[in-house]
This record gives sequence, C-alpha cells and structure tokens, in this order.
Amino acid sequence: MRFILSDSISSDFNGYETLIDLFNRTHKLRFEDIILDFSKTKWFEANLTAVLGGILNKAQEGFNNIELEGLSNDINNLLSRNLFLSNFGGSRIPDFYDTTIEYHKFKIVEEKLFKEYLDKELISKKVMPKMSDLLKKKVNESLIEIFNNAVIHGNCKKIFTCGQYYPAKNRLDFTIVNLGKTIKENVNEYLNKTLSGDEAIKWAVLEGNTTKRGPIPGGLGLSLIREFISKNEGKIQIVSADGYWEQIKDTGKSECFSQAFFGTIVNLEFNTADTSSYCLASEIDEEDIF
Amino acid sequence: MKEIKINIFEHVGSDAAVSSEDGDSLYNRIVKGLEENDVKVILDFNNINLITSTFLNAAVGQLYGKYDSYFLKKHLGVKNLNKEDLELLKKVVERAKEYFKDRKKMDNSIKEILEDE
Repeated sequence: MRFILSDSISSDFNGYETLIDLFNRTHKLRFEDIILDFSKTKWFEANLTAVLGGILNKAQEGFNNIELEGLSNDINNLLSRNLFLSNFGGSRIPDFYDTTIEYHKFKIVEEKLFKEYLDKELISKKVMPKMSDLLKKKVNESLIEIFNNAVIHGNCKKIFTCGQYYPAKNRLDFTIVNLGKTIKENVNEYLNKTLSGDEAIKWAVLEGNTTKRGPIPGGLGLSLIREFISKNEGKIQIVSADGYWEQIKDTGKSECFSQAFFGTIVNLEFNTADTSSYCLASEIDEEDIF
Repeated sequence: MKEIKINIFEHVGSDAAVSSEDGDSLYNRIVKGLEENDVKVILDFNNINLITSTFLNAAVGQLYGKYDSYFLKKHLGVKNLNKEDLELLKKVVERAKEYFKDRKKMDNSIKEILEDE
C-alpha cells in the first residue's frame, strides 16, 4: 500500500485531514508493506511527527512493514534531528540550532518522565532566553495538563509528543497525541446525546464541563489553558473523532472532517516573546481560600 | 488547635505537583489528619515550582465531597504558594464546590426517579 503525502503538511485543517486519511487507510491493515511517499512533500511541520508517530505505531502493531520514501534533504534532516527517523532505521543528526523538541512516545504511567522531558527539551534550551520564568512555568503546566487529560480521559496506552521552536517568529509549537477514547465518545456517553465531533469538543472546552463522574472534580484544565492562550496570543487546536476545534488568540472556530481519527490530537502554539504577568488585578488572601 | 504541616515537596518527591496519583495520595494523607480531633492541616508548598489543576483537584477539590466549606476553612490551611498558584487553588476550590453541588442535584434527581418507579 502506497500513501502519497501532499506537498505541504501544516498544523491546520487540511494538514490534519491528510493525516486522518492516512490513519483510516492504515489502521486496519495486517502484514502489509506500507510505503509513505514524501516525494511531493516540500513542507512538513516537525511537531506533526507526534501525529505521524501515533498513526505509524498503530500500523506497526498490525505487523506491517513501514517505509518512508522520497524525503527531501530538508525533511530528512528535520525528522532525523527530532529522532523520528530513528524509529524507522534512520540515524540521529545533531541539532546545531537547538530548536528541535524530540519526538517521544510515553506510556501513560510516565507523567514524571514527561515532566523531565519538558525540563530537558524546553526549559533548559539556550535558544529560549526570551521566555520569562513565569511564561516557561505556564507553558509547562499547560502541556502537563494536556498530558494528564490524555491519561484520565483517553483510556489509552501511549502518548506521542513532539515540538518545534521557531525563534524568528517567537513561536513554540507542541503536539500531544493519544489513540484512545475520543472526546466525542466521552461527551456523548456522559450527556446521552449524539453530538457531532466538533460540537462535542466545543462542549468539553467550556469551563465547568467535564465527563468525570467520580470523587475527583474536573472541568478546569482546558479552560485554564484557553484563558492562558488567549492572554498569550497563542493558538490551541483539538482534533478528536471527526471534530476539529481551534482557538487563535481569543477567537474560536470549529468544523467536521469527512473521516474520523480514533484518538485525540492537541496542538498548542505559544507566543514565546510574551511578557504578561498572568495575575488577577486583586490579590487573593491565603486565609480566604476554602 | 494543633497544626500539622505536610511538606508537598517531600510528599511528591520533586518540585512538580502535577499528577492525579500524587494528588490522590495527598488527599488520603489530609483526610487522615482531619480525622483527628482539633487538628489543622497546613499544606506547605515551599520549593514547589509546578502545580496543575489535575493535582489540586485530586488533593484538595476531592475534599469537598467529604467536608463542607465551613469545616475546611477551619481545619485546612496553605502556605508558601505564589500568587499565580494561589489563584489556581482558588479556582479549583470554587469548581469543586460547584461539582459537588451539581452531583448532589444529580443524585437527588436519580433518587426521585427511582422512588417514582
């Protein structure tokens, strides 16, 4: 089976649609040769290797042989620097620009390892001097919240992550993927409704909404990230089942894909030049919390 | 009232209070403390650099399913939280109050439906 990738794969509706198509064409295959043909591809956003990694991991579990062909030098170097190609027999090359955030596959119990990975790949990078300590903390917390969401709601075994720093644009992109229970499944089960994928995501990102039923409250993590992304003038995109939802700065948009992704993709883009303080105008008294 | 301090750094074993699992084990420790008579449990966040709502929901939010606000105001305290994290904790607490209020409403309506049958 040969899959020809389009000329440009970016973190946008069309880019995700191509990857969802790849998922749908490969996830049921068994004992096949799967060839990913990059010969037409001139641009592939590095953070999306988290999505590609999740899809190909699923295909490998079906005992399929996977080969990547026709990679341009630029894409080959990019995917070698972030260690993605090491999973397919390629070798690592040094990242002289230090702008790569390695592709990584985590087990769901590896929350602490994920935190160490963020420390190594984000916090200690010399090329990120513009980020204030507070901004680094907020970015870290947002990514850990998304990781935790995948663990709590995804009912999955693995979580795939990758990122890329764009110093000239003052942007940091980071993608977290799980192939578990989708937001659409969780929300529709909880509400006993048949919402479409994008409607289900729109419900899930509203403050106070949670599909949790147990003794531990929820319904805060995503709204905190939305608030932060809005102040930071960043971007959040969520793909789950056939739903797509994004918030750029403080404007939201949603639509549906023609096919479904059996999992959830969360892509966060941060403005690394942000110097906001992220504090409330009024101080909160330690004695007046509970 | 005797004050018992729980050092969060020691409890989670690092400067990051981020996982639901660590939050849940802290919840169990807080409950054990609150079961004693005339005790106030103080959560000391000294040296903690990262905190998530996931951790606080499990550690503190969960307490509102067992205790009311009046009791927790009297028997639970925090120290060494910076203002951003104090704001996060306040949001978690407000959210937990809503969550358990909604759950009680839902439990009552289920009970009413079952009684009608």
